[in-house]
Amino acid sequence: MALSAQDKILYVANKLGLSTLKNMQGSTGAVYDVDTDISGQIFSSASRHQNPGVTNITENQFEVNEALLVENIAFYVLGTDGIVRNFQSVYGSSAVIVYDLVIGNKRVMKDTPVFAAGSPYTFANAGVKSEGAPGAPFSSYSPRHQTFMEGAGILIPPQIQWYVDYRIFDVVTGATIAATDSTTIGCYLFGTRVLLNFNTTI
Amino acid sequence: MSQVGKLGYVDSKLGAPTSGQQTTRILFNTIENPGTTSSLSFFKNFQGLTNGQTNLTQNKLDSMESMVIKTIWLSQLTTADILQFFGGTAQQTLSVIVGNQTVVKNLPIQFNQGINGQAFDRLHENGGGLVDDQTPTSQSQTIQPVEIRLLTDIVIPPQVAFEVRIESNAGVYGTGAVVCALSGYGKIFSAGASF
Repeated sequence: MALSAQDKILYVANKLGLSTLKNMQGSTGAVYDVDTDISGQIFSSASRHQNPGVTNITENQFEVNEALLVENIAFYVLGTDGIVRNFQSVYGSSAVIVYDLVIGNKRVMKDTPVFAAGSPYTFANAGVKSEGAPGAPFSSYSPRHQTFMEGAGILIPPQIQWYVDYRIFDVVTGATIAATDSTTIGCYLFGTRVLLNFNTTI
Repeated sequence: MSQVGKLGYVDSKLGAPTSGQQTTRILFNTIENPGTTSSLSFFKNFQGLTNGQTNLTQNKLDSMESMVIKTIWLSQLTTADILQFFGGTAQQTLSVIVGNQTVVKNLPIQFNQGINGQAFDRLHENGGGLVDDQTPTSQSQTIQPVEIRLLTDIVIPPQVAFEVRIESNAGVYGTGAVVCALSGYGKIFSAGASF
């Protein structure tokens, strides 16, 4: 990243006229949600979802003076049993998620692919290798399905709605793949977090 | 020079707009049923591909868009959705051509995959080896895709044709599909306050 995470947050905050964001608590955080409606959109219906079973937010916008600099976008599968599973192990190696990240009325990630076979890892090493019984030899890889924002972290400012639009395809045939109730797609956004800090204001 | 600085430098040299939404950009293109061949050209043919097989409609970026390539990613899949060694285990080289200039020339890829794997950089795991001689399936991968991290920032400017070319001595690419993705930092068009 060209700027440090903190510098980028302050740069964007300054552009948006958020003069008090610099006094807030810097932290690390992640938000997650699952497309339980199979609508092709994640985070937009978070307010109706179980917390923390499905999501850890109550609405798809941050409170006053809270923000998240997104540095890693990841996808997973949530089954009806509530267990998080690897996208490749459910959908197969040829599946690909093509997604947009929309903040306010602006698309900030455009037609970005995450390949089930293992999205470009950039600096990450390979995914976890799955094992059978303890001591058993490795049987397969569980690839990563993440986009590392090495180029530029993207700030979700306070009180602006965001969501992820996605579709699933078979990259071999080009056909779309429909999610089911037992194979719903989840997404998390991880990065540098800004938390509301009362110390300077109360 | 940072990637942001380099992209701005190249864009300004070409007189291209330097404004726009900074983002992480991944371009990808698929070749269906490539068969056995000594040459593959990615980002050349878009006919008949769906949005799940490419995210471009032509072999150039829009007039207000540009990017820096940091990583090149390759995979080969069968019609049964099984990930395979790219091109079998054949020795292969990769070239990236931007405009009329070769910007990556005959870079070997076989070291970053499969049983030959010793990734160029220390930050990536190898492409994978045969894992305990298990039979791979769609849901059980025993190898990883090829990924090569570039040491220099390769810029694709706006409206300049580009291509990724793979050469081998009769590489076996199968009847499924091969995919190439270019990942890095980019700028996408942002209307801003002008619309």
